[in-house]
Amino acid sequence: MALNDPNWGKRGNDGPPDLDELWRRFNQKLNAVFGGKGGGAAPQTPGGRQIGGGLGLLIVLLLLVWLASGFYIVDAPQRGVVLRFGKYVETTDSGPRWHLPWPIESAEVVNVSGVRTAEIGYRNNVKSKVLKESLMITEDENIIDIQFAVQYVIKDAEDYLFNNRDSEKTVVHAAETAIREVVGKNKLDFLLQEGKAEIVADVQALMQEILDRYKTGIEVSRVTMQDARAPEQVQAAFADAVKAGQDRDRQKNEAQAYFNDVVPRARGAASRLIQEAEGYRQSVIANAEGEASRFRQIVAEYSKAPAVTRDRLYLDMMQQVLTNSSKIVVDQKAGGNLLYLPLDKLMQNSGSDAALKPAQPDASPPIGPVPDASSRSRDAFRSREREAR
Amino acid sequence: MKASISTVVIGLVVLLVVMSMSLFTVDQRQNVIVFRLGETVSVKTSPGLYWKVPLFDNVRYFDVRIQTLDSEEPEEFTTLEKKPVLVDSFVKWRVVDVKQYYISLRDSAGGAEEGARKRLMQTVNGSLREEFGKRTIRDVVSGERNKIMELMREKADQDARKIGVQVLDVRLKRVDFTQAVSDSVYGRMEAERKRVANEQRSLGFAEAEKIRADAEKQRSIIIAEAYRDAQRLKGDGDAKASAIYARAFQQSPEFYAFYRSLEAYRQSFKTKGDLLILEPGSEFFKYLRGPSGRGK
Repeated sequence: MALNDPNWGKRGNDGPPDLDELWRRFNQKLNAVFGGKGGGAAPQTPGGRQIGGGLGLLIVLLLLVWLASGFYIVDAPQRGVVLRFGKYVETTDSGPRWHLPWPIESAEVVNVSGVRTAEIGYRNNVKSKVLKESLMITEDENIIDIQFAVQYVIKDAEDYLFNNRDSEKTVVHAAETAIREVVGKNKLDFLLQEGKAEIVADVQALMQEILDRYKTGIEVSRVTMQDARAPEQVQAAFADAVKAGQDRDRQKNEAQAYFNDVVPRARGAASRLIQEAEGYRQSVIANAEGEASRFRQIVAEYSKAPAVTRDRLYLDMMQQVLTNSSKIVVDQKAGGNLLYLPLDKLMQNSGSDAALKPAQPDASPPIGPVPDASSRSRDAFRSREREAR
Repeated sequence: MKASISTVVIGLVVLLVVMSMSLFTVDQRQNVIVFRLGETVSVKTSPGLYWKVPLFDNVRYFDVRIQTLDSEEPEEFTTLEKKPVLVDSFVKWRVVDVKQYYISLRDSAGGAEEGARKRLMQTVNGSLREEFGKRTIRDVVSGERNKIMELMREKADQDARKIGVQVLDVRLKRVDFTQAVSDSVYGRMEAERKRVANEQRSLGFAEAEKIRADAEKQRSIIIAEAYRDAQRLKGDGDAKASAIYARAFQQSPEFYAFYRSLEAYRQSFKTKGDLLILEPGSEFFKYLRGPSGRGK
């Protein structure tokens, strides 16, 4: 079918127009604009048209590719910053985005919510120290070994991109200078013991101030003090000082324990003394009352028959006394001769008797085994005889 | 005409080329100087799209963001007390007047930026040396740190403006002792800690002794008081008992004497070890002599 056929381009069915046909129509229009004067009805040589068609196809493809290069994706924690001819235009939120392709517009994607960490004084873990960073001078001209971790996020993508050349390094610098300044304003003991919370807050505030001054668009989310201690060289002395404090407490506790042992014991002993005294008092009084009562009763009886009672009491006593003791009856008036009494021997015999026969004040018969000794058996026989009577 | 397509294409290409030679963009982060045949024609500080004469005009870009000048190695300065300190500082600076910057530093070795760095470094170090020399370590580390940094910044900024540079901040990153001084500081710290340790131990001992002594004092007092009270009780008991005895025995003193003596004799002579030498003439032996109680 010729090009100028009125049915050209029409199809029997309603399918999508194919590329070839589209291209031919495009070409036709171009020809109408540029080559119409030269007689557009004249058909072109197939060779030229082919070359022209191929080139055109290439250009369209390039155009599409160029347009497609404007697509970019912004992930959830990111933001896209769009520049038009180098000038800031907008900040885009997350999702699939498109901008006019280069050189008209360009986009840079920045991770804003992702938390980054700056380590001061150590790498990876607290054990691998960087002494140059971690040793600092305190207010009282002492040296402390201290490590920090700083967590930060980008709060403003625009500021972050346009104001500073090396933002990450800036954070580290700001951290170091802020930490050293805060440490330099406080004493060693304060830093090691009570000051942790205050120090961390001061560092964070100072760092943020510095970063805001440079308009870095960075926000310090958290500062933690990883470790704070005396430098290696003096660790031993410091540990000993801590131990000394503990020793002091221990000594006090031991003394207190001693106190808690001694004083209650003393109270116990005191209580016992008093109880004993009270017991003595009661028993002495009771004894006295008993004795007094006994005496009174005897007096009552005695007063009824004094002479007889007296005799009876006397004779009972004599009997008991003479029974229990050794006796010698000597008649001095009979002779004026010197009487020799072998008192030693008598005492000896009586002594051994006494040892073997425990004395009973109430003249009860002696109980227990009686060993063989003639005098004693005689005595025993005699006393038993007397009892029998 | 077969020339038409190609003409279009060629025309487009030529257009693009011409455009690229006569347009340029200035990024948000840059400032630009436009030169024509070696002479500065204009300075562009706002970002956007601009025209220039193709072929004749030359465009030079300058990064105007804030940069950091960081000394690689710490410098040694001496303080007022003649103590050496190692100081590591950094400078935050940026180009504010690109024309001035270019003119001042175009002939520097290593390029304009290197030139700027060298100059800033010199200025800063010079004034640091001066300021440190006027102050003690304590002032530098603690009290006047901010003041020094602000002074530095002002001085450096003043000088830097001459080359089109603004100094935003001069900060002391590290102020450290030299090795020799550090060692003596460690010695001092150790000695001071030892003193604290000894003090703690002495205090502990003293406090413990005090408590122990107090315990013993209380013990003595408690026991003494108890003894006193016990004796009082005993005395009271004894007194009352005596009173009871006296009251009872006073009723018949003579009989008491008799009765009590009998008991005494009983208790005194109760073992075979006690020897009595008796006379047959005593009253006791009355009936031993004879049934009627007469005779010798």
